[in-house]
Amino acid sequence: MTAETFFLLALVFYAVGVALILAGLRVEALRSPGVLLLATGLGVAAQTAGIGVHCTQSASHFFTSSQETYWLLSWALGLGYLAVLAAWKMRPLGALLLPINVVLLTMAHFSPGAGAAPASEAANSQLLPVHILSAFLGYGLFLTAFAASAVYLQEQRLLKRKLFGVLLRGLPSLEKLDRAANRCSWAGLLLFTVALVTGAIMANAVDKPQWFLQPKILATEATWLLFLVLAIGHATGRLVGRSAARFVLAGAALVMLTFVIAHPFREPALPAAVEGKAAL
Amino acid sequence: MSRPRLCLLGLSHKTAPVALRERMAFRAEDIPRALRRLIGAEHCREAVILSTCNRVELYGVGIAPDEGLGKRLRAFLAEFHGVPEAEMSTALYERHDADAAEHLFEVAASIDSQILGETEILAQAKEAFRLAGEAEAVGPVLRAAFERAFHMAKEIRAETGIGKSHASVSSAAVQLVQKVFDDFASHQVLLIGTGEMAQGIVRALRELGAQELWVASRTLERAEAFAHTEGGKACQISDLPAYLARVDIVLVSTAAPYFVIRHEHLKDALPKRHGRPLFVIDISVPRNVDPESNKLNDVFLYDIDDLEEVAREGRAQREQAAALSRPRLADEARLLFNELVLVQPGMTAKQLLAQAEALRKEELAKLGGAGLNEAALKELERALERFQGRLLHAPLAVLKEAARQGDGEEAAQWIARLFRLQIEAAKEDMKSEANPATPPSRPLPIPAPERKEA
Repeated sequence: MTAETFFLLALVFYAVGVALILAGLRVEALRSPGVLLLATGLGVAAQTAGIGVHCTQSASHFFTSSQETYWLLSWALGLGYLAVLAAWKMRPLGALLLPINVVLLTMAHFSPGAGAAPASEAANSQLLPVHILSAFLGYGLFLTAFAASAVYLQEQRLLKRKLFGVLLRGLPSLEKLDRAANRCSWAGLLLFTVALVTGAIMANAVDKPQWFLQPKILATEATWLLFLVLAIGHATGRLVGRSAARFVLAGAALVMLTFVIAHPFREPALPAAVEGKAAL
Repeated sequence: MSRPRLCLLGLSHKTAPVALRERMAFRAEDIPRALRRLIGAEHCREAVILSTCNRVELYGVGIAPDEGLGKRLRAFLAEFHGVPEAEMSTALYERHDADAAEHLFEVAASIDSQILGETEILAQAKEAFRLAGEAEAVGPVLRAAFERAFHMAKEIRAETGIGKSHASVSSAAVQLVQKVFDDFASHQVLLIGTGEMAQGIVRALRELGAQELWVASRTLERAEAFAHTEGGKACQISDLPAYLARVDIVLVSTAAPYFVIRHEHLKDALPKRHGRPLFVIDISVPRNVDPESNKLNDVFLYDIDDLEEVAREGRAQREQAAALSRPRLADEARLLFNELVLVQPGMTAKQLLAQAEALRKEELAKLGGAGLNEAALKELERALERFQGRLLHAPLAVLKEAARQGDGEEAAQWIARLFRLQIEAAKEDMKSEANPATPPSRPLPIPAPERKEA
């Protein structure tokens, strides 16, 4: 099987997940997280296999084309959702994350694939796989925290307006959502720190002057700083609940901005893309 | 149609006032004695007594299809409790066979309960079944009926979520607070006023894990007394602003004709809370918390009307779930009873085959000394086997078809009469073979008619 087939399979599993969430709004029996966990788990497994096959077949772990970026981002999102689903049965977050995954995988299907392996010095670094994986997993966790925060704000709105309908019944408690967003932010921050440090080491090695002043790097650093403030604020009890949720939303907006600035769909040539920063 | 075998006689909150229900109730220690009497003196093969605060029901199985069982159960109930039959007759209901099973299914699934979807009745039905099992009053019919009822109750609960929605004001309050908080051990509760409903909510919060409870009342003595009963600490109502910054759940239930918690109280407390949500339940009438406070960020304020709305929605959901479940339970009860009726045809078929087998062997044994060689004897044996198979094919096929149509018992009786089968003896054999504590949960299968062509 090719990597493409595995990712199409993952697309099917995530689509099943979306269907389960929608059907669960009407049918009580479909609200059990077990089947959804299975569908998401199979989706993540298929994507992991796809990444493995892709690395083997292309003898490359650079993931710099648009298609590869979508693949990795959706894989990281799938992993993040799988984690919150398994740990806290956060079924409703799937209503946001799984459709995003379906869209990302569909976009990947229609995007140009990987080119030849780059010859740049940074691309040959041993640190590159660590850098890419930690960056994408960090993004995945930040976006999972974003989903938890978005659901938090929506639930808070329903509670304030006293709209006790079917939507409210299916949502977890605000405290649980706050906790999930906080844990995902912490884990994302740790991974993102690894990505930043490895990225800096690689950029210094290729001797590119003032790489840290590039817009994409500035956006990345701002994201990191924002999540650091959030983590400290939450730990000290000064940034919780609604304010914390809004902070996470701002962080997610920065993540998206980083992607828009940095991403290879703006830079088709692979060697140029890996020059300086590979994944960011 | 076959005559009734399973009989239910009972009264419930729907048919009898509490004054009659309490007179007819069986105390747990009296149930074994009552069951022994039903099995012995009243000629029941099986019996279960379900006695709760809302219902008293006797489930009995006759030794044979028995039209008089209902009357005997009525007489037993009247005599056991010393209540004249005339006094209770209008409150009693009687059901037979599949209808009785259907009623049992509805009771176990909590569709016949006063509060639809409550969980207690299933545990009570299981306890009644256990007591009957210990008194050796349970046989194949009631075992199959009760086990299926427990299974169906579980399925209905899982599929319809009948018990999930909250049907009372107290449980609605608890449902709402669970939408905000999750780990109750880490949140403090402040109770202002000591009404009965507030006490119920406090106990429910305690069950969820809430540990720190502060109680304020009109007088400190009153607060201390309540705090002592519920395991909390008393506090002065004048310290309210400080407590509003500290606690996360506030429950107000006083008779004061003014706002005990004013908008300013909460507004002042919020900066000290750093965004932590504050959940306020005001079950007082007139209201004791300024309704404008709900406009403040991170304050979730609900009054008695809000809670009643949640409870009303919960009750409507439960009624909807019950209405969806009823036809399914009725179908399942009919299916169960058809299966139970198959027991008799199964025994008849088994006996018919055994009788034919015995006759064939008897005749062959007689030929043993008639000078036939071994090959001829074998050939004759095979011919008789074929003959037996072809002869019994038609009655067995008829029996099987009748059982499928629900007329198996009647067909079995005709076949037993035609072939002079010893059915009662077979029943006794079966009874002694199977331990009464573990009778077969499924009916005996009817053997496929033999078709050994020449």
